[in-house]
Amino acid sequence: MRNLLRVLAVTALSVPALIGLAGVAQAQDKFKLGMAVGGNTCCEWMKAQGDVARALAEKNGWDYVELSNNNDPATALKNAQIFVQEGVDAVIQFNGQAASNPAISAVMKQANIPIVTYDIADPGMYFVGIDNLAAGIAGGEGLGKIIKEKWACNPDLVVSAEGAGAGIVNEWRTGGMRTGLKNICPDIPDAKYVSFESQGDAAVGLPAARDLLAAHPEAKNIAVVGLNDGGVLALINAAEQLGRADGVIGWGQDGAFITGDNVNPHLAGSVFYFLEGYAVYAIKDVIGPIAAGNVPPLKADAGDPASKVQPCPVTAEQAKAVPDMNERVKQLLAAPAGTAEYDLFCPNKG
Amino acid sequence: MSLNQAIETAPPAVPLKVRFGGWGTGLMLLAVWLLLIVATGLYRQDFFSQQTVLAVAFTMSIVGVLAIGQGLVAISGGFIDLSQPAGMITASLVAVRLSEAGMPLIVVIIGAILTGMVWGAFNAAIIVFAKLNPVIVTLATNFIGLAVLFLVFQLAEVPLNSDIYHFGRASFLGLPAIFWPMLGLVLVVGFLLPRTKYGRRATAVGGNRAAAKARGISLKATRFAIFMAAGGFVGFAAVLFAATAGPFNPGSGNAMQLNIIAGVILAGISLAGGRGNFWMLLLSVGFLSTIPTSLVFFGLSSDTQSIFQGLILIIAVAIDGYRARKGTP
Repeated sequence: MRNLLRVLAVTALSVPALIGLAGVAQAQDKFKLGMAVGGNTCCEWMKAQGDVARALAEKNGWDYVELSNNNDPATALKNAQIFVQEGVDAVIQFNGQAASNPAISAVMKQANIPIVTYDIADPGMYFVGIDNLAAGIAGGEGLGKIIKEKWACNPDLVVSAEGAGAGIVNEWRTGGMRTGLKNICPDIPDAKYVSFESQGDAAVGLPAARDLLAAHPEAKNIAVVGLNDGGVLALINAAEQLGRADGVIGWGQDGAFITGDNVNPHLAGSVFYFLEGYAVYAIKDVIGPIAAGNVPPLKADAGDPASKVQPCPVTAEQAKAVPDMNERVKQLLAAPAGTAEYDLFCPNKG
Repeated sequence: MSLNQAIETAPPAVPLKVRFGGWGTGLMLLAVWLLLIVATGLYRQDFFSQQTVLAVAFTMSIVGVLAIGQGLVAISGGFIDLSQPAGMITASLVAVRLSEAGMPLIVVIIGAILTGMVWGAFNAAIIVFAKLNPVIVTLATNFIGLAVLFLVFQLAEVPLNSDIYHFGRASFLGLPAIFWPMLGLVLVVGFLLPRTKYGRRATAVGGNRAAAKARGISLKATRFAIFMAAGGFVGFAAVLFAATAGPFNPGSGNAMQLNIIAGVILAGISLAGGRGNFWMLLLSVGFLSTIPTSLVFFGLSSDTQSIFQGLILIIAVAIDGYRARKGTP
């Protein structure tokens, strides 16, 4: 009887311990994805990028750790070190802090953790992103067609809403839009091209936009290009306030303000990247294979990316058929694995 | 008549000195502003256009109303309120939500002002009851406020074609509709502050706390009321901001802070409290709002304005320190 009790006691103690040990072993085997989001400093899609990555990681049965870089290089580097301490198996980062990329690359390389970067290439990181220059040119050509039809390629002013903080991305997108516009309307004199610093933010860029318009009081027909929809809207809002919006036509980038029921009528179009859904590309072409033990070759060049995101230029009219971001995310997560928002929502698939 | 009544009905010496001394500040500001206008106009004659007036007036409007709130905090010895950006965005968000609900403009305005006052009361409660430094408290509440706002929303915008949207684009007598309330508020506050019991109490608390206490003025109640009133102005500025800004995010108000503080100091409102003429805000804010526009006419990028803002702030603080040492307004 005493022996029986001993057996029962040992069994009672050892079963939970074994279950616990098995759990630990399983947790150690479980793939862990780290995600560094840009930070909630400007745009809804920055938060949504993390939400989509989290949902896809959970679908794959992975652990998921999310940190915010707050679009700050020092924070991004610190977060990279935290990911190493957390023992993640791979990292995705939104690249709003290119200055710290070499240091982050070095940290990850030392820890043997593969890292995916969005939109700005780094030699040590898998590049997943859009061809920003192509996106810029596509948007510029879209605007050019309207300018050609309405103003016979003779606007009084072509305003660029710059966002210098975005670095090379600003040059690709905003400069690309000017190139695209010149492809359609090559005879617009250089003197008609002017710029203001919008910081990619409609509210912050507004006073500078008003000042620029005040400094060109005779300009009536004004074409606007820019880093993103927000910057272009800064100029459009300024023109409305100065009573000059009738002659303003803008074309943005990123599609942030071209959907929904609050679209400014002077925003004629934009280019969707469906930024919130980038994780689909990263997981399909890089993270998924790594989790399966098939580490893909490092493709760090924007010209030969690990995964290429398709730009989707749309007119405001076409954009009416595209759901807003929250609805897009909902449909994206309900779609079969590997389906991108471009496949689901772009009305102008190339 | 009691001693207290006598003090509160008779204009004390300090405000008289303020009004007299204020002319020097005003003339200096006017001269510098005119110099800037003439220099820019000589460089480019098209500077003298209705478009320039509109651009400057729009910029003045929001900064001017916020400067009233900031000035009230300063003159009452609260130094500065660093939580204005978070307070303004919070009230702007309320304005947007009320507009989206189809509320008439007056309800939107009242809602935003009340939100601003609640924000001011929140600051005041910590400052007054915990007896903490207002600068540190408002710096902290700004951080807290912005963090909470980031959790609540990423972007907000008043509906196109709503009343508030049209208010932000309307003009009256050749100036933006949003300019006139700012002008009225500066004139009214500047008139009432040295001439009413509450205004004199606010100034007295900032000028000499011990003397004010000896007069029976409740420092706690006065400071609480000042922060709430300042919050009310932040709330009204939020209406102007939401009406004009287009889509905004929690961080969209941060860029204004330096301009507002510089405007208050340049106007001669002492950060140490007790001195200042609010009418001077029209000149200081007008001057500061003209600088970026002039820079663009000179062919300089408007983002270089930060250099000028920084320099002007240093000069203004130096002047404020000089005034404090000399005991002159």
